[in-house]
Amino acid sequence: MLSPAEAEILSTSFSVASLALLWSLPPAIACAFLLSRPVRGKFLLDGLVHLPVILPPVLTGFLLLLLFGRNGPVGRWLEEVAGIRLVFTRQGAALATAVMVFPILVRASRIAFESMDARLLEAAAMLRAGPWDRFFSIALPLAGPGILAGAVTAFAAGMGEFGAVITFAASIPGQTQTLPLAIYAVLQQPGGENEAMRLAVMSFTLAMSGLIGAEVLQYWMRRRLHR
Amino acid sequence: MKSLDVDIQLKRGAFRLEAKFRAPANGITVLFGPSGSGKSSLLSAIAGLVPCGGYARLGRDLLCDTAVDLHVPPHRRGIGMVFQDARLFPHLTARRNIAFAWKRAPAERRRDIDEMARFFDIAPVLDRPVGNLSGGEKSRVALARALVGTPDFLLLDEPFAALDGMRRRAFIQVLLDMHKRFALPMLVVTHSIDDAASLASHLVVLEAGQVVTSGAFDQATREPAFAALLDPRDHGAAVPALLLHSGQEAGHKYLWLRADHIVLAAERPKAISARNILEGEVGALRVEQDGSRLVELKTPVGPILSRITGEAAAELGLAEGRPAWALVKVHVLQH
Repeated sequence: MLSPAEAEILSTSFSVASLALLWSLPPAIACAFLLSRPVRGKFLLDGLVHLPVILPPVLTGFLLLLLFGRNGPVGRWLEEVAGIRLVFTRQGAALATAVMVFPILVRASRIAFESMDARLLEAAAMLRAGPWDRFFSIALPLAGPGILAGAVTAFAAGMGEFGAVITFAASIPGQTQTLPLAIYAVLQQPGGENEAMRLAVMSFTLAMSGLIGAEVLQYWMRRRLHR
Repeated sequence: MKSLDVDIQLKRGAFRLEAKFRAPANGITVLFGPSGSGKSSLLSAIAGLVPCGGYARLGRDLLCDTAVDLHVPPHRRGIGMVFQDARLFPHLTARRNIAFAWKRAPAERRRDIDEMARFFDIAPVLDRPVGNLSGGEKSRVALARALVGTPDFLLLDEPFAALDGMRRRAFIQVLLDMHKRFALPMLVVTHSIDDAASLASHLVVLEAGQVVTSGAFDQATREPAFAALLDPRDHGAAVPALLLHSGQEAGHKYLWLRADHIVLAAERPKAISARNILEGEVGALRVEQDGSRLVELKTPVGPILSRITGEAAAELGLAEGRPAWALVKVHVLQH
């Protein structure tokens, strides 16, 4: 059903999106929790988090190149200290994707934390639970369904990232060429519309199942949580 | 057992709270005051949930002291709190709610969860999700959870506010039993005089963010500042009572005798259904706004109040220093 090339594209997309989710979920949850609490200066953090939504994706990719490129401050450090190269690699594609889906994760997690009864944290404090303990034993489990739903949405969105990924990681088959990048590539070739259509259907199906999956998951977890 | 000494200030917008009082190590202290007087804010400040000025001490441990910039975080204060809404963790069963406290309690002081469940009569519902519990069950699970947390002092913010009638009285009895068994000092917020009388050995009265009076319950309730806060229909006096359970002494508490429930006689009454007749000497006679008289009668159990009409006062010839008898219907005592 799938040609070897298509299977490779799909697997690249999956691995890029999974890696991106893995990297951006912990900081996104931390950011969301901070934003849901009465913390000073959170407007600044809020703005920063949402930057990738406002900026053109190409610009985000370009900024990443400046920072994480071989001559960028972080990029050079990473290559010298850890021998990690991000530009034009799968890890690079994942980083660009992680930055792009970060706002989606923060937004979903923040709503989840805000809809939790914050007074339960006070009750936990009166039972000798410290701040970290309260976060892991009360806040995180209660916000879990919302966060998970956000993660599924972010995963689906991550499979479709284009601008930032192509700018930072280029479109290398088997390395960084994800579904949307592959669609763009075949469209550049004469007579590629047929193949583009096949890839488009795959992309559409994946995105839709992601969205529906998120809804179902959230519904099911809420029911389990508040039996 | 530790006493709680408080001298704190709190500012919230235009509202100012200044409270200085002591809740003794033995007994139950009731924090009484009308809604909006700052009772809950004061409790939150003692718990460490809101920042405040001044100082608070539990036994010899400082909880906060602005002078040395000390503010012990709530989870290290050794103070337990039971809230108006039980605040059980919705993602856990009743048992796991209690186990939450057990895991965080000092190992050498841990209390057995099943034993606590039997004491609070919640054993049958222990493995249910807390969403399925009734109001009374929820408050008892919250009490058990707080107790398993082995606090040195317990704060209770109107934990029976959501209960009514019989269930409320039953819950108050649970609180009394609990206090007797675990000798845990408590500060209980309420705005009901009957609840206060059933529970209190000590009283702290708060009005508009200020402590207007505090001390032993029967003495503090005799202060004019306290009476001024009461609904006129609740005016009365506290008398100490000894609780008997099948002939055995089962504890002390106060009874609140409402002035409206006391009948006065100028002679010793005969052939009458009232079982409780108190002989005394008429003290102060106060004319109320509606023309009725609030008569103080000094009895062997302490001064009590009776409200009678002006005509009745004249007819009985009541005057300071004259003897009189107070008739109490036994059923009004059964709170």
